[in-house]
Amino acid sequence: MVDFGRVQKELQDCNKDINVSGISVNPKFDNLINLIGTIPGPVATPYEGGTFKIDIDLPDAYPFEPPRMKFATKVWHPNISSQSGAICLDILKDQWSPALTLKTALLSIQALLSAPEPDDPQDAVVAQQYLKDYQTFASTARYWTESFAKTSSLGVEDKVQKLVEMGFPEGMVRSTLEVVGGDENLALEKLCSG
Amino acid sequence: MVYDSIANALIPTPASNPKDFNKKKRVNRTAKLKQSKLDVRREQWLSQVSIRFDVNWLFGVFIVKNKGCKEENRGTDRAKTRASDMHPSNEGETRTIGKLVINRGGEENDGLMNHYSDWESPSNSPTSHTSSLASNRSVTNFTGGSSSRSSSSSSGGCYSGSMTEEDDGDDGCLDDWEAIADALAADEIKSDHNVSPEPQVHDHNINPEPVETVKDDRVQVNRRAWRPDDAFRPQGLPNLLKQNSFPMNSERNHGCGAWGFKNTGLTPVPTTCPICCEDLDLTDSSFLPCPCGYRLCLFCYKRILEDNGRCPGCRKQYEQPEQGIASSKLARSYSMIPSR
Repeated sequence: MVDFGRVQKELQDCNKDINVSGISVNPKFDNLINLIGTIPGPVATPYEGGTFKIDIDLPDAYPFEPPRMKFATKVWHPNISSQSGAICLDILKDQWSPALTLKTALLSIQALLSAPEPDDPQDAVVAQQYLKDYQTFASTARYWTESFAKTSSLGVEDKVQKLVEMGFPEGMVRSTLEVVGGDENLALEKLCSG
Repeated sequence: MVYDSIANALIPTPASNPKDFNKKKRVNRTAKLKQSKLDVRREQWLSQVSIRFDVNWLFGVFIVKNKGCKEENRGTDRAKTRASDMHPSNEGETRTIGKLVINRGGEENDGLMNHYSDWESPSNSPTSHTSSLASNRSVTNFTGGSSSRSSSSSSGGCYSGSMTEEDDGDDGCLDDWEAIADALAADEIKSDHNVSPEPQVHDHNINPEPVETVKDDRVQVNRRAWRPDDAFRPQGLPNLLKQNSFPMNSERNHGCGAWGFKNTGLTPVPTTCPICCEDLDLTDSSFLPCPCGYRLCLFCYKRILEDNGRCPGCRKQYEQPEQGIASSKLARSYSMIPSR
């Protein structure tokens, strides 16, 4: 049985300083087992400017077992599968400690984005490219960030307009879109739920 | 017995009033009558109770049966009292003794349920029972009992005129219950809820509550931890920021000092378990399973031991000797709790 008291508290504490960390965790559905985390791409990396969503599933034994995390946003990174979004990170496996939290795990993933470990790759193709042709790797990663992790300003305006037409106040729509990382469906869900 | 003292206390009060000689005489006579009656009743009850419980013991004592017996006793007793109000005490005595004997005979029969069925249909019983003699006896008993019972229930209104009688009856009843309760206690049988010797015991019962409340207060004081936003927090207290084992929780953790109990590490004792977010109690707070100073509640500690046994704070394996010490510490602290 997942310790919902702790999960609840983690969500509260994580979303309290969202403006500082830029990291948020929200329920995906109407439960506290399937969550969505968002992390901003670290500055001075090919991922800068992107907002990356991470699917989080909590096992029954959480926090004694690590949360299952994978990228929902496509990422070009040696330690992240370009196909499945699977993350190769020790703290999500054998180095997990119950003292860690969803937020610290997401922070670690953010750190992984800025410091790839090509010697312990998840995606061999990307790792090879990273080692052999960093420039190509960087441009590909930037392109993927632009394509999948970024919401263009025009795109945001389109989404805002769409949601405002549904009858939600504009300010609320903008703030909600920001919270969920620009995903219009998530924003709609959030707006509807409250 | 309480019984006698009440009777004695009641008698002089009306007797000391010299205004009406007739009344006094009457009162004296009723007092004498009552005294003899009380003696008889006491003897009768002492014997009856012992006999009944001997018999019950022989046949195996059942709660239901006892209950039934008591009610029966009560009924016959009441009836007898009322009867003896109208008749000389001797007759009452003989009647009750006779009844007692018959009762014994009845008891030696098949049990209480048979009595009641006999009572309801007395004409059937001699033929339907194998031991005709015993059943006959029980029938005579219960037809007699039923008549006296019905008369008593019908004459209940006029009987209630005298207050002393009422009191005596109640006291007698209480006495009976007491005797039965004693007998039951001697037999180590849990009696039903009607048997409660509490009124007598109550006065001797010294309430230990004040002491306990004082202790509770002290525990509360010990457990108290200053929150950073606490209005009563002394300004002199240092702001402890070192507890960063659970960074998310840091704002909750840094305000609490371990005032009132042993502070073994450099890190302050958190108010909640960083793993399960439940409040740490006194035992948890004094529990230091790892040299790294990472604290957690005993439940989470046990859970981790069952799992991989690594400290969440430093990922080092919890040491086995440490574990032994911890468990002995635990046992000691548990044993201390009830003695407080």
